[in-house]
Amino acid sequence: MKRLSILLRREFWENKGAFRTTPLVIGGLYVVFLLMSIFTTAHIDSDLYTFREAVRVMADQPAELRGMVMYQGILGSSVFFTVVMGFVIFFYLLGSLYDDRKDRSILFWKSLPASDTLTLASKLISAMVVIPTFFLLILIITHIIMAIIGSLMILGVDGNPWTLFLGVVNPFKAWAMIAASWYAHSIWALPIYGWLMLVSAFAPRVPLLFATLPPLIFAVLQTWIDFLRTFTLKSNIVGVVGEWIFNTPAILTAEVHDGVGEIALGVPLTDDFDHAVTLVNMLDRLFSAQMLIGLVIAAVFLAAALWLRHRATES
Amino acid sequence: MNPIISARGLTKRFGRTVAVDHIDLNIPPGRIVGLIGPNGAGKTTALKAILGLTNFDGELSVLGKNPARDRAALMEDVCFIADVAVLPRWIRVWQLIDLTEQIHPRFSREKCIEYLADTKVTLDHKVKQLSKGMVAQLHLALVMAIDVSLLVLDEPTLGLDIIYRKQFYTNLLNDYFDEERTILITTHQVEEIEHILTDLIFIQDGKIVLESTMDEVQERYTELMVSKDQAEQARKLNPLYERQLFGKHIFLYDGVTKEQLSSLGELHTPSVADLFVAKMKGSLKNEAENRGDEA
Repeated sequence: MKRLSILLRREFWENKGAFRTTPLVIGGLYVVFLLMSIFTTAHIDSDLYTFREAVRVMADQPAELRGMVMYQGILGSSVFFTVVMGFVIFFYLLGSLYDDRKDRSILFWKSLPASDTLTLASKLISAMVVIPTFFLLILIITHIIMAIIGSLMILGVDGNPWTLFLGVVNPFKAWAMIAASWYAHSIWALPIYGWLMLVSAFAPRVPLLFATLPPLIFAVLQTWIDFLRTFTLKSNIVGVVGEWIFNTPAILTAEVHDGVGEIALGVPLTDDFDHAVTLVNMLDRLFSAQMLIGLVIAAVFLAAALWLRHRATES
Repeated sequence: MNPIISARGLTKRFGRTVAVDHIDLNIPPGRIVGLIGPNGAGKTTALKAILGLTNFDGELSVLGKNPARDRAALMEDVCFIADVAVLPRWIRVWQLIDLTEQIHPRFSREKCIEYLADTKVTLDHKVKQLSKGMVAQLHLALVMAIDVSLLVLDEPTLGLDIIYRKQFYTNLLNDYFDEERTILITTHQVEEIEHILTDLIFIQDGKIVLESTMDEVQERYTELMVSKDQAEQARKLNPLYERQLFGKHIFLYDGVTKEQLSSLGELHTPSVADLFVAKMKGSLKNEAENRGDEA
């Protein structure tokens, strides 16, 4: 346990920029944009007349509607974090078993009494848990700062921030949704994470190419051969992976409703989609046969990565 | 006493090449062993097998463990510096110390900081800000602060200037080595380590060509320097190797008594480097003869 926790810290030390600075920059951008819009408003309309009007109109709306807007605002603001986090995890895993082979510091790491399994585990846990947790905490802090700025503005025009927007929403429910989506995705994406770690363990150079080119070439051949044999264009490996990512439990929190597809990243669009429903959806996906197949594939990839890591100092 | 390292028929193949060819080894505790060999002789491969960094055929036991299977457990009692400057470049010194402290049960933070106090390395330095020599000092400080039974050094001073090299071995000898510890060193700079070695192993083409203590070496091998007119006589005593220096002939003998030789000229203890050259050239000669026989 002591060893695992220091290895996790080691991953953080090496990747501070990706783990912490990146979400801080996004959160900072949110706050800066908010301040810029406030200054713009104040510059054009120095009496803040429009703002006063907006607050008044808002106060006239039913509390449920305001609550829903707030709720969706919280969830919606996570989208950018989610996308960037996807890239961060992708590149982190691609480098996870490659960088120390490239700079030969692997010889130092192997001189420590930490097993290859523990090393691999620390990197996988970083991708599945540590990175999403950093992004989540910084997202929450961003929300709080924005709420404080908004409240000050409303107080400035003699409004009541509590009745207007703070008290009408349960932010914990929204944050829990985001957290559940992200951690569920960590499990769902395991076969992809496993593939990235495997590539990271064997690529002699440019792991990015080794991760993406073979599936692409395979997909093109698959489609071509299918076409020659049957004159149809069936789905290929890239399609399968794409569908897999699209099927993530996080995305499907808003599913087909009244025959109409309403899909957005983790956002239930109407009140009928209570989080209980989406949690059930999430669990359905996580305990599906599809997930089981995914876990088997992930286990194969990770075992191969571990084997390669064990032999990484051979030549 | 139980040997620190014992190998029986240790073999490592890369495809068709045999890098290590049925080596038998026995290294007891409390020794400083020099593993010397030309490039590509199999030194590094043998060390990698000992450190659990590669698979192998044959039997190998290091501190009673099989390195290929139990690398992590073995590393609690073994330290190695595989090459200069393999410390991760992004890491800070304090992070390195924290990390080693948490992972190594036998690491002493106080000792490490004490060793570092004698250098220009500070806790806040990043490894990439340090010069090559300072990285070597840092690595040595880390390793010396760990109480292990076996320390393996593979070309630990390669590329360092002479001041760092001297200091490296001085620190190692004064502050680290004791009766219970064993140090295994490979290097091309034989002259630098020969005075600290207790044992010598020559390896060539994956085979051990000499395994002996330094005392035995001094007893068994003698260097004789004679003038030209006595060279013929000296040659009759079947020297291992002959070379010429400033018009003098220098012969290296294996197992010829000092009494027999002293009448002919000046006697010396051969340096490890000269013995090495003699052994390597000697076995080349033998090989050539063998080939001649076959033809």
